[in-house]
Amino acid sequence: MKDNSLVEKLSLQAESFQEGFEVLINCNSLEEMIKNFHHLLRGNFLATNLSLMYKKSFDVGWESVNSEKKLANSDLALLDHAQKLTIKYPRKENSAAVVVLPLSDSSYLGIIIGSKLDKSEFNDYDKITLQILLQVFSSAYNSLLNQQEVKKLIFDLNEKVLQLNSLIDTGIEISKFDKRDILFELSLERAASITNSSSAIILITGVDTGKVEKEITFPNNMNPEKVLESPLKIESSFEFNKKLYRFVLCEKETRKGVTSFNELDELLLQSITRQVQASIENDYLVKQSLEKERIEKELSLAAAIQQRIIPEELPEIKGFELAGINIPSREVGGDYFDCIDLGNGKYALIMADVAGKGISAALLVSTLNAALYSYLEFDVPLTELVEKLNKLIYRSSPSDKYITFFIALLDSKSGEVEIVNAGHNPALFLKKDGKLEQIEAGGIGLGMLDLGMPYTGQSLRINSGDSLFLYTDGIPEAMNLNEEEYSDEKMIEFFLNKSESSTNEFIAAMVKDVQNFVGEAQQSDDITLLLLKKV
Amino acid sequence: MSTDFNIISEIHSDTLVMKTDGYINNTGGEKIAQEFSKHANNVKKVIIDLKKSKVVNSIGISYLLEIIENLNQNGGKLFFTNLDPTIEKTFTIMGIFQFAEKTDSIDSITS
Repeated sequence: MKDNSLVEKLSLQAESFQEGFEVLINCNSLEEMIKNFHHLLRGNFLATNLSLMYKKSFDVGWESVNSEKKLANSDLALLDHAQKLTIKYPRKENSAAVVVLPLSDSSYLGIIIGSKLDKSEFNDYDKITLQILLQVFSSAYNSLLNQQEVKKLIFDLNEKVLQLNSLIDTGIEISKFDKRDILFELSLERAASITNSSSAIILITGVDTGKVEKEITFPNNMNPEKVLESPLKIESSFEFNKKLYRFVLCEKETRKGVTSFNELDELLLQSITRQVQASIENDYLVKQSLEKERIEKELSLAAAIQQRIIPEELPEIKGFELAGINIPSREVGGDYFDCIDLGNGKYALIMADVAGKGISAALLVSTLNAALYSYLEFDVPLTELVEKLNKLIYRSSPSDKYITFFIALLDSKSGEVEIVNAGHNPALFLKKDGKLEQIEAGGIGLGMLDLGMPYTGQSLRINSGDSLFLYTDGIPEAMNLNEEEYSDEKMIEFFLNKSESSTNEFIAAMVKDVQNFVGEAQQSDDITLLLLKKV
Repeated sequence: MSTDFNIISEIHSDTLVMKTDGYINNTGGEKIAQEFSKHANNVKKVIIDLKKSKVVNSIGISYLLEIIENLNQNGGKLFFTNLDPTIEKTFTIMGIFQFAEKTDSIDSITS
């Protein structure tokens, strides 16, 4: 064939080569590309047999991708172990041309073209056509690789966006109160998902006991031992409220199997762990705040109840001086005092202290107050009245609640006083001549027991210059910063020393003395005093 | 490490319905792709019911993208139904809905 004729023929084929290239670059996979290249070769050379093979690298064996017949080892031997482009024309019956085409990613395409249908040999035109078609395939293959690389880059970019988005969403989700019960399950799922972990576990262990208190796995039927024993794992942990929260991710997945986690995976796990930690801490602080608010409301209510019961003013008793005070502590206590005018010159002086503080103590005082007013309307003996109160308080209060109670019925006309002391601090009865008597006659505190044990009463006469001093344990048990108590002795000594004072002066002085003793220490209990003195 | 993942598949005319149960990761994705391969030449539409799959990772998604490509090359379509909101958002970010669709029910595609 003359050169001019060859050039002319190739020129006519140029459009066909271009069309072939367009077909190849529109292929989405290597298999599809080889299949179309097979058609291209067959159309150009009209060969009897055509075999195409592929290998991913130089060292591996050929894989038949599109062969018209099963290849024997002798056929494969035709493909040289060449690393460069090799084209041979063996002039054998089944192999007119043999090609090894190195591709840009170090893979290889092998081509065995059988004899042409017309049995003619490969001429110059065929050889140049083959060279051109090989170049077309090589270019199209590069295009396919670029497409795949672009797809991979887009996938990787989307995956990073997904990780970031998932991290933000997880933070929002686990901070919601309605997700508290699935906090660990949710965070574990998200951590496993965004790091491509095959499985994961959260272990919650008591720091002091070392005992596993809770175990959450993902997927939820995983054997925890398999996760923990895996050599391909990462973990992150934190401690809170004497509990260790340990997050473990196991085996990072790829399409080719499992592998080690990378630094980004560790950062993602740490971020989710920190979010869970913040959520648990916030939950704890919110609960504490709500509890504090609840207590403050209860104290406020208790204070209101107590203020309503304790008298703002005491009645004036003809021929007597009477003064009293109640100083509640910061935590509302259950002290109660009163002087009830019963008419006809008779008065009931009350001093009581409920065991415990807060709303329950205030309510018990309220019950006592109501019952007392009710019972005093009937002219029942004082000991019987106290027995009734005991039964009522016993039925109205829990087993750990009781009231120490002191009642004195004063007949202001005669100076006769009837007294019952139900487990309260002894009242101090100071005669004008300086003789001091501690009044303890009575029985157990109200509500302690209901065994029908009678209360004992005591009678005394209060004469001019005599004093009856009632108080609660807030005075003798007042404590200073050195944790020293004011004491009964100091209180009695003060009482004796101030016996000449008016009742108002004594009450003010007593309170001041106690406060001086306590100093900067916080008042731990109510202080309640009541002093009756016959002028 | 293997995890439990199950598929129940049904053929309705030219539609393959796959109901998955479990984590769509490498194992799950591979099983879905294998099930699809068995029927690839006979179906035009594939519906994946994710009612019992609440978690997916990007390896599992890569298998789904392959199925989408395969179907799209042959004029077919992939549909998802019963999507958990988290998975739906994941698929949106990963670009799955550029080539596949959500459907409210299997019947709306098969009938």
